[in-house]
Amino acid sequence: MGSFKYALRDGTRLILRHWGLAFLTVLTSMAVFYIIGASVLLVLNTRHIVNVLEGELSIQAYLAPNASYEEAAQLVAKIDHVTKVMIITQDMAMERLKARIPDWADVLTLLGDNPLPSSLEVWVDRADSVESVVMGLTAITQIKDIVYAGSLAEKLAKFSRFAGHFSLAMLVVAITASAVVLFNTIRIAVYSKEEEIGIMLMVGATPAFVAMPFVLQGVILGGAGSLGASVLLTFSYNGIIARLRELMPFLPFLERSSVVLHLGLILVGAGATVSLIASLVAVETFTRRAMKPL
Amino acid sequence: MDIRFSGVSKIFYPDITALEDVYLEIPKGEFVYLVGPTGSGKTTLLRCITREVAPTRGQITVGSFSLRKISRVDLSVFRRDIGIIFQDFCLLPHLNVFENVAFVLEVLGAPSREVKERTGEILDQVNLWRRRFLYPPQLSGGEQQRVAVARAIVNSPSVLLADEPTGNLDLHTAEEIMQLIVSINALGTTVIMATHNQYLVDAYRQRVVGIKAGRVVRDEKRGRYNLDGEL
Repeated sequence: MGSFKYALRDGTRLILRHWGLAFLTVLTSMAVFYIIGASVLLVLNTRHIVNVLEGELSIQAYLAPNASYEEAAQLVAKIDHVTKVMIITQDMAMERLKARIPDWADVLTLLGDNPLPSSLEVWVDRADSVESVVMGLTAITQIKDIVYAGSLAEKLAKFSRFAGHFSLAMLVVAITASAVVLFNTIRIAVYSKEEEIGIMLMVGATPAFVAMPFVLQGVILGGAGSLGASVLLTFSYNGIIARLRELMPFLPFLERSSVVLHLGLILVGAGATVSLIASLVAVETFTRRAMKPL
Repeated sequence: MDIRFSGVSKIFYPDITALEDVYLEIPKGEFVYLVGPTGSGKTTLLRCITREVAPTRGQITVGSFSLRKISRVDLSVFRRDIGIIFQDFCLLPHLNVFENVAFVLEVLGAPSREVKERTGEILDQVNLWRRRFLYPPQLSGGEQQRVAVARAIVNSPSVLLADEPTGNLDLHTAEEIMQLIVSINALGTTVIMATHNQYLVDAYRQRVVGIKAGRVVRDEKRGRYNLDGEL
């Protein structure tokens, strides 16, 4: 308990003694974690949009005359990435068309015999699986023609992959930058107390005891930065999404509440962890050298 | 704690011999003066005991600790039983007298009540209780050294190492410090004191170990500073 009180008192003193540096560290850490949070939200939104659109993605496979629906459907169901196969008879196709253009429903009756062909409606698990499923469908002889939103599916999948990679790269760069800034801040604090640490080690303080105030200082600064970033992200997300909805009303963006709250908690945890590790490394490097005999 | 040096040599890079083949045995509770000219190896010998310096050859044991291979945690535990008084005091300027002394107990994790009581007792003993709120730059040299002595003994160490503790002090203040150290030794603490102060060595007769060019050149049970003009 005494040790913790000492660490808390000394950690606070360290922050106050180097308040300018502490402020800059919090600010940097905040900016870095805001970038991380924003890129994670970008990925989450992209994935969400892709998932929603994927749910609506289907391939229409038109059958050759006299082909067996059931047999063809069974063969299609065996193709990898196919999640659902539905037989659309001529009557069902007509009903759908009527539902889609209700104002012209009466006109359609003038067509006489139903001219619409029977087909199989095929759903796939992901947008980037569409191409391989289409390849599988072309190999089935009962299928005469295939219609699908190929380029849209491909573009969505590509963008989703790019967003994932971009976010990962941002994460690595941002966390490294944050760790370096925190490491340097703690190192400056350590060197400012070089003499004191030397005396502490000489009178028998353990390296862990020496490290405590610095680690606490690091965790407070890193935690404060990531907390600030989380709060800023929560407030800015709503505004940004509202603007995007105006620009692209057809895209289904994620709602704020739960996603941003969870992300905020993760960011604070990540901030504290990164600063904990950076501070430990900074102090450990110093005490190891200080305790090494000449 | 008994202290034993067995064939200890220390050569600093590239070829400066600080200690050479030192054999020394200091039983628990003894008072030893280390005398010799500047650069003879007195400070290196003291720093070998705190393991700030590792011998190039030989073995040092202090109590149950063999200092050749000692882990960092064991080194911390070992150092808790060693008090050190430096010539230049090494006080922390941003801490007041009370905090400078209490600091040792705090870093050793003592409960706050014990820190207050023990620090108060020691400051009373070194006659600094009334100056406990002053900062080192506000104290005289003698007072600063008394704070350093208080800090060195506040955790009741088994061994007290003093490197020129009276080097910067006038004779009267030096005697005050000396009396304090002698009284600590009387309580059973082993004292090893490196000094150039001939008056004190001759006035407070104790074991004298003479060092010259890193070698122990004399070791007398109740010696004097100078013997036939040598050391």
